[in-house]
Amino acid sequence: MSKLEVKDLHVSIDGKKILKGVNLTMNTGEIHAIMGPNGTGKSTLSQAIMGHPAYKVTQGEVLLNGENILDLPVDERARAGLFLAMQYPAEIPGITNAEFIRGAVNARLPEDKSLSIRKFLKKLDKTMQVLDMTEEMADRYLNEGFSGGEKKRNEILQLMMIEPKFAILDEIDSGLDIDALKVVSRGVNQMRGPEFGSLIITHYQRLLNYIVPDVVHVMMGGKIVKQGGPELAKRLEDEGYTGLRDELGLDIKLVDEEA
Amino acid sequence: MTIDVKKYPAIAEYAKETAEPAWFTELRIQSLEKAAELELPSFEKIRYQRWPIQLQQPLEKRNVQKELLEENDFEQTENMVVQVGQATLELKLSQEMRDQGVIICDWQTALHEHGELVQKYFMQKAVKFDEDRLTAQHVAYMTSGLFIYIPKNVILKDVFTSYFIQDATTKADYVHHVMLIVGENSEFSYLENLKTIGTEATTANIIVEVIAQENSHVKFASVDRLGVKTTTYLNRRGYLEKDARINWSMGMMNDGKIVGDFDSDLVGDGAHSEVKIVAISTGKQVQGIDTRVTNRGKHTIGHILQHGVILSRSTLTFNGIGHIIKGAKGADAQQESRVLMLSNKAKGDANPILLIDDNDVTAGHAASIGRVNQEQLYYLMSRGLPKKMAERLVIIGFLGPVLATIPSKAIREQLKLTIERKLIDGQKDE
Ligand SMILES: Nc1ncnc2c1ncn2[C@@H]1O[C@H](COP(=O)(O)OP(=O)(O)O)[C@@H](O)[C@H]1O
Ligand SMILES: [Mg+2]
Repeated sequence: MSKLEVKDLHVSIDGKKILKGVNLTMNTGEIHAIMGPNGTGKSTLSQAIMGHPAYKVTQGEVLLNGENILDLPVDERARAGLFLAMQYPAEIPGITNAEFIRGAVNARLPEDKSLSIRKFLKKLDKTMQVLDMTEEMADRYLNEGFSGGEKKRNEILQLMMIEPKFAILDEIDSGLDIDALKVVSRGVNQMRGPEFGSLIITHYQRLLNYIVPDVVHVMMGGKIVKQGGPELAKRLEDEGYTGLRDELGLDIKLVDEEA
Repeated sequence: MTIDVKKYPAIAEYAKETAEPAWFTELRIQSLEKAAELELPSFEKIRYQRWPIQLQQPLEKRNVQKELLEENDFEQTENMVVQVGQATLELKLSQEMRDQGVIICDWQTALHEHGELVQKYFMQKAVKFDEDRLTAQHVAYMTSGLFIYIPKNVILKDVFTSYFIQDATTKADYVHHVMLIVGENSEFSYLENLKTIGTEATTANIIVEVIAQENSHVKFASVDRLGVKTTTYLNRRGYLEKDARINWSMGMMNDGKIVGDFDSDLVGDGAHSEVKIVAISTGKQVQGIDTRVTNRGKHTIGHILQHGVILSRSTLTFNGIGHIIKGAKGADAQQESRVLMLSNKAKGDANPILLIDDNDVTAGHAASIGRVNQEQLYYLMSRGLPKKMAERLVIIGFLGPVLATIPSKAIREQLKLTIERKLIDGQKDE
């Protein structure tokens, strides 16, 4: 079992304070969800955990199995077992998807344990079938010209091939129709197990019907303001974020709030 | 003009030893005398004049030590040549090519057996022997090369591959000439690999002339990896007759100082040249690449696409010259030059130069110098790829649009491997 802990995390971008003391603990074998209104810092949290250089941690720590990872560069965090399915994955022309994924899979294996091309392709093929991806997606350039939905599937494809300890999925549901949502959820659910934990970031409850979380965190104004079980997500769906905010007596302006 | 060979004992001695025809020896001497008066060629923003680029060593026949060769093994193909220094080690030409009248031979053989053809074309049409000091020195000191003659109406699908290995185990100049004549309606694919063995500081002067006769089609690819202490003048020039076409794909993966002068003269109506270049500069090296296409004939097409990457403290200059001569109605000159910087200390330049003397033409250019996209790097690293590997992938991606246009998959893959190797070596200095 592995443990990921976020302790009193403060993060700024361009000198602007976004996260103001986030606390969160999760173990492999668990699925956590973070819900929150737009602009509240959900992506900031995921990027700070992964190690995006633009997100400056000003206070607090992130521990993986008790070790602070904040001094590690992003690639070492990845090899330590973290994965982030990004809200806006980069497009990289000139490198095929398969070529890249193979590099990523082998990057975390010792040289003498590298996956042979044959074994790799077999696994890739099988995984792409789970995600209803056509074969040609393997030979296309990494994310280049992919539709929104194709990019999301491709993030999950990488997740399933790399098999990290902890995967943060940042709005993996945005822009997906219901069929695609089911496919993506099928992929994530297949990963579920004692050696895998996931932090699912979403704005909507809908995704959580397909990937049922063990714990739901609500984030507002750069902090986690409430925790609960799956029923918390349902309640938010019915009452909206404003309801919860007012109940908690928080003085936060929501971006999407009607004037 | 009478030429007194005896005034030039080294040339006389060399001529005797190699039994070269008198006309050729006379041309050497004529060139040597001219060289003294001629200027060095000048290229926009490429300052190479103080490099040890001029040839000065007396002509000398050198043998190559057999041991050197065993270190190199080459992928054996049906049609290939391996030359080390002045010596030809291996030359294979398929029966099919022979049957069709194809001539491929080393320079000495060409002079002895195909003197008339050589005399007609050598430094007369594509490049002129008295163009500038470097071309004149080339003729005066040239000691190795390859002659390729494809008769008319011969369509060859197989690639002919040459490995030219500069011998820098001794301080010898490398003066090498390739003459490629492709007859009317013929098609020919050629891959050239330039390499260095040894680490002595040396000078190389290499000229490749391609004569593409009416309606012929030439695919010229090269993978150049000359050594870190080799200072090179590399001139590749195409002379295109009516409706002829040359596709150039060049990988400039050299490690030393180099001036690359890559020109296409679209002489006949409807001639078409596509020039694709990828270049990587590493360490402290300077690579200056001057690519010109001149549209002389009507409805000629000249396209230049060059992408380069600079690491460490290196320099890379791309000039793209599109020159449309008056009367070249309907001509098209397009070019794109892009440089990707990986280091703050590297220097890159991309200069588009359009010289247009006719109105009824189309022309365009794009040029840029940029840095590695940090979001791309972050994305790749977030999957566990180490930074240097991620950088290499972004670079290969950046070079992709040029690589993708290389017609042969085998050549593309080989070039990719060379790029990878050059980058890994180059990143060690970062
Ligand atoms: N690169 C950035 N530069 C400046 N501000 C940013 C940047 N990224 C996000 N922000 C700001 O940080 C806040 C939180 O953004 P984000 O973490 O993306 O929110 P969420 O994912 O919850 O919608 C927002 O106000 C957003 O405008
Ligand atoms: Mg977000």
